[in-house]
Amino acid sequence: MTQTWTVTYEIFRKKGNQASHYDRFEMKVDPDEYVLDGIERIWAFNDRSLVFSHACHHSTCGACGMLVNGVEKLTCITPIRSVTKDGGVIRVEPMRNFPVISDLSVDMTVFYQRMESVGHQPVVSNGFEDSKGKFDPEDDLLRLSDCIECGLCISACPIALTTPAYLGPAVLAGAQQSGDLNPCVLDLVDSENGAWRCHSAYECTEVCPSHVDPAWRIMDLRKKLVSRRIKKFFGIK
Amino acid sequence: MAEHPQKPANLIKWFDPRNKSLGSWAFILNRITGLGLTVYLFLHLIMLGQLARGPEAYDGFIALVKNPIFLAGELLVIAAALIHGLNGIRIGITSFGIAGGKQKQLFIGLMTVAVIAIVYFAIRMFTH
Amino acid sequence: MRDGFDVTPRSGEGAGLWFLKILTGFLVIVVLIIHLIVNHLIVEGGLLTYTDVVRYYQNPIIPIMEIAFLILVVTHALMGLRSVLLDLHPSNKVLRLINYGLVVLGLGSIAYGIWLVLVIVGRG
Ligand code: HEM
Ligand code: SF4
Ligand code: FES
Repeated sequence: MTQTWTVTYEIFRKKGNQASHYDRFEMKVDPDEYVLDGIERIWAFNDRSLVFSHACHHSTCGACGMLVNGVEKLTCITPIRSVTKDGGVIRVEPMRNFPVISDLSVDMTVFYQRMESVGHQPVVSNGFEDSKGKFDPEDDLLRLSDCIECGLCISACPIALTTPAYLGPAVLAGAQQSGDLNPCVLDLVDSENGAWRCHSAYECTEVCPSHVDPAWRIMDLRKKLVSRRIKKFFGIK
Repeated sequence: MAEHPQKPANLIKWFDPRNKSLGSWAFILNRITGLGLTVYLFLHLIMLGQLARGPEAYDGFIALVKNPIFLAGELLVIAAALIHGLNGIRIGITSFGIAGGKQKQLFIGLMTVAVIAIVYFAIRMFTH
Repeated sequence: MRDGFDVTPRSGEGAGLWFLKILTGFLVIVVLIIHLIVNHLIVEGGLLTYTDVVRYYQNPIIPIMEIAFLILVVTHALMGLRSVLLDLHPSNKVLRLINYGLVVLGLGSIAYGIWLVLVIVGRG
């Protein structure tokens, strides 16, 4: 049984150096469709100049993160029913704390580079139990690691609001997860802009669509860094 | 290429709890009370300078502080200290990997203690 | 910052200062509790007049405790203030000014506080 709702998409628009504005599109949707489906229909039937990013449509590529009614959502798996009501508004904006390329699309280059440099592996051994970091190097089955590099956590973080220098939750979680705290990684994460910058607002864990629990990982990383320093102080390897 | 949107002026948004979850309330409260207590600390040190100026100056100052407006201010300081200190325990222990997954329950529990203590101090102060 | 790898060493808040911030916060609670117990359970009638305060300070434990409290609170408050300022990512030049200013303010207020305690003790 399908239902039909009338909803208004209020979409953030910005091109180049022009001032930003919102475009409104009223449309009929099935409330069990996803927020991204509506955006795609707007692009297909109303405005071909609308820019947004997505690829997989099943919460794997991490490209479709946006702000939906003020909250970070992976739009390809966010049902319209969960963010508005019949006759309601869906305000869609690009993620915070990333440079806006155009409309809903943001530049995540720096973020991807940071993920790579802390040794985050997008594909890990099946024996690698993501949630608490068990690792079995013998296992040759592969699986995708939990973090899909969507950037939602960085968009939600209040500390990332004031400076791009803060590495951000996903990157610190990536370092904790890869477990390889070599000197280059330590330079990044055991620093002013790394693990010690977090102020425990836990918004990252709140918005993460993939059970990474980045805030827990930051705390665990702190524990690891502190115990490393204590061991080093007492000369234990 | 597009610019990073982050700027120091965004600090206003630190204190915007709209569409945020409980952890942000904790962060906001901790930051406001921390900064408030710091301002109070220096005012307090300056005020205590009255002690050095002898009995009349100090006792006059205490008489002034006993009026309800100052008492209310003092209660505000007690409330801020309780909220900040108890929240500080949450930050401290979760940072060492204790109860990280339970930070919300921890926050609610500690803030309940804070509210009870604030009410207790309020009753005590205004009935004596 | 375009490249996102700003690792120029500087006196930002690393592990040591962060740890000190948490530790002083914790110690402030401990001393605060002792302070409240001494103040409200041991001293009868409260400390409301100048003479009360001066008499209270004659027990050597009190000035020692108050000075410890002063040092902890000032350290914690200024380091907390500094970590708020660091969230704004000041340039190295501004950070040097901040460091200098906070050290002067901190040492100044600790010196002033100790002087005040000694004055009170001396009036006994
Ligand atoms: C009662 C015991 C106290 C405890 C346990 C405590 C604990 C803490 C902790 C753990 C932080 C770190 C917050 C973070 O990094 O996110 C903090 C921050 C701070 N504290 Fe305290 N504190 C206490 C008392 C005080 C007092 C009395 C003052 C002021 C006179 C103060 C001023 C500050 C400031 C300004 C900050 C920075 C705020 C921020 O980072 O958002 N604290 N405190
Ligand atoms: S930690 Fe979660 S929210 Fe952050 S980038 Fe990875 S999947 Fe996205
Ligand atoms: S489109 Fe790939 S995660 Fe949403």
